[in-house]
Amino acid sequence: MGKNVLLVDDSSTMRKIIGRSLRQAGIDFDNIFEAGDGQEALAVLEKESVDIVLSDINMPNMNGIEFLREKAGRDAIKDIPVLMISTETGDDIIGEAKSLGAVGSIKKPFTPDKVNEVLGPLL
Amino acid sequence: MMEIIAGYVKDATFEVFESMVMMEIASGEPNYNGSKKIDSIISSMIGLAGDLKGMVVIHCPEEVAKKITSGMLGMEVDEVDADVKDALGEIANMVAGGLKVSLEGEGCNVELALPSTVIGRSIRMSSGVGSKRIMVPFNIPSGEFGVEMNYVMSSV
Repeated sequence: MGKNVLLVDDSSTMRKIIGRSLRQAGIDFDNIFEAGDGQEALAVLEKESVDIVLSDINMPNMNGIEFLREKAGRDAIKDIPVLMISTETGDDIIGEAKSLGAVGSIKKPFTPDKVNEVLGPLL
Repeated sequence: MMEIIAGYVKDATFEVFESMVMMEIASGEPNYNGSKKIDSIISSMIGLAGDLKGMVVIHCPEEVAKKITSGMLGMEVDEVDADVKDALGEIANMVAGGLKVSLEGEGCNVELALPSTVIGRSIRMSSGVGSKRIMVPFNIPSGEFGVEMNYVMSSV
């Protein structure tokens, strides 16, 4: 059975670019789900079978840090890995994300090679 | 310091266009006195807070905005629609993010707000007394766009 990914970003353009980068990196998913913020992401995770989440940090309604914190408190979804993709690179905020369970981070802008380098070993 | 920041703006913009827009751009001479105008129809901006307060704004004429969005999405774009607004906002976000990293290297901590986009011909930004203004022009075959930065330093 193939794998499913959830892309979380308030920019629909960025979700399309990430999806394209996955294909260019040769990483095939059976299903690519999308969410525009942390709240939408939680709803997708509760409903769908997702193997890994790629999430932005700066988003309206529920940002990536709040999403990680809320997800960590839900037994059914807390173990799904989350990789942050963000313009945020500071040790403080990336450190906070990792302390809440994020498995790594990719800085925007990125290349398909970078996506493959970071995401590949996680699959 | 303005020349250094203009260099950071150039570097960040080149990185975004090379890796995410898949489009070659050429930069012009940065302008520091407010005399450089871009004949834009869409402007995306993102606020900066912290040691440096202000905003980064991308100004684009219609054809340039559509070409940039086409490059990002890998598809033809015929009108200035939600995709164009979203794409320009994300470019502003990434340029500001690159700028933030460079400024942190100078010991200047900056926080980014969420991007906003406005549509209107030749929007002019107005900032507080004492603020600095940098406009870096860039060119693609469809025309010229500009990355503007208005800011006030509170430390560094």
